[in-house]
Amino acid sequence: MPLLEVTDLKYRYPDGTHALSGVSFAVERGEKVALLGPMGAGKSTLLLHLNGLLLPASGSVTIDGIAVSGGTLREVRKRVGLVFQDPDDQLFLPSLLEDVAFGPLNEGRDPEDAELLARGVLQSLGLGGNELRAAHHLSGGEKRLAALATVLVSHPLVLVLDEPTSNLDARGKRRLVGLLRQREETLLVATHDLTMARALCERAVVMADGALVHDGRLEHIVSNREFLDHHGLWADL
Amino acid sequence: MSFRHLDQFAQVYSPITAIAPVLRVIGTVAVALAAATLRLGAWAQLGTLAGLVLVLAVVARIPLPTLLLRMLGPLVFVLFASVALLILVPGEVVARVGWISLTDNGLLRFGSALGRAFTALAAAVILVSTTTFPEIVQALRELRLPHAVTTALGLAYRFLYVIVDELERLQRAARSRNAGAGAAKRRRLLVSVVAAVLRRSLVRSERTHRAMLARGFQGEIVSLHRSRVDARSIALLSLLVLVVGAVTLSSYMDL
Repeated sequence: MPLLEVTDLKYRYPDGTHALSGVSFAVERGEKVALLGPMGAGKSTLLLHLNGLLLPASGSVTIDGIAVSGGTLREVRKRVGLVFQDPDDQLFLPSLLEDVAFGPLNEGRDPEDAELLARGVLQSLGLGGNELRAAHHLSGGEKRLAALATVLVSHPLVLVLDEPTSNLDARGKRRLVGLLRQREETLLVATHDLTMARALCERAVVMADGALVHDGRLEHIVSNREFLDHHGLWADL
Repeated sequence: MSFRHLDQFAQVYSPITAIAPVLRVIGTVAVALAAATLRLGAWAQLGTLAGLVLVLAVVARIPLPTLLLRMLGPLVFVLFASVALLILVPGEVVARVGWISLTDNGLLRFGSALGRAFTALAAAVILVSTTTFPEIVQALRELRLPHAVTTALGLAYRFLYVIVDELERLQRAARSRNAGAGAAKRRRLLVSVVAAVLRRSLVRSERTHRAMLARGFQGEIVSLHRSRVDARSIALLSLLVLVVGAVTLSSYMDL
């Protein structure tokens, strides 16, 4: 049974815009998959479905055998760690420690336990010593790692990252990719950054206009300039 | 922005910072309440309270000029708001400034309002200078303020920095294109920039709410810490409350 399964998923925004039109794919446990596509392809909308922030209008999303629905949100969100594109959206509490402990506290852990977990994750990501700092005192790279820490602390089965390298400098990208390569969780990364995708993932799922246009080995499309150009993934400068 | 360094004395060790934040908040409220409930015209007691607060500022290692500078903005506001008392309160005319007659009752109330405001504001400035905002929010949680209020305060503090950064970026971008030459154009530019920031803030609030839901938020931010209230802190607070209570009571015994 795949860990993550999306079947004929359709979604239309209240203004009538078709964001997803029949998307289907599955991700096995431990796989690292790049979700590629130009702006407006429907990647972010798809990611919001994986965590139950949007519920399927038609079709289904299953995580670890649990169908995403209004009644399973708690279980689904324990299993899917969603890292948003802008870390400032994800770091909303006055200190880093409180931000990282937010998830475990919501899961019902007691404060001492949550604090211990949060400190451990911050330490493992090289952010030890920053526990009491506020997010606005962190660099862009540190914020990105802190946002990652806020979901890693809950030990999700699937890590879902939305444009994790946007606004990162080369050193920040290298550090983030290095960390993600060591992770054993299943990974789904929505990105435009082909270099990062190649460094992390073997498989690519490509979206365009709310539909899936490719699902296969990433290397197969990287060498296909015409395909990349057609789907807004290649900038011939 | 100056508010970024408002709590700079929170990192300076002093007998004030050694007291639990929740007790600092209670102490501040006690001083403000005492100043507000003093008998009208109890100048000796008002002076004693103001002096006590200034001593506390010294104990907290806040330089007097810094304290006064931080009080200046709100104090000027109080001054303007109290000017009406000079004119409107009936009583015996003691002086005339042009067509304005100053009455004894008006002067009494004006002076009293300024003195009370000075004392309460000084206490509040000591609190925000020696206590980080997260500590104040936590203290308010421990004092059982509604969750909606403390959550809104915490989020407002965090995103104030993000919004100010956005405002500065937008202003820079506008200035780089020579926007805002002339007062009228500058006003229009400010309105556009503020509108853009508000629009972005609204969008960001939706994204942040999603990020909270994604990590299991169910309407209440569960707190990680509780401040440690030791016996020494309680003793110091009790002493402060006793002193300000005695000063307030004595103002009524003078009658």
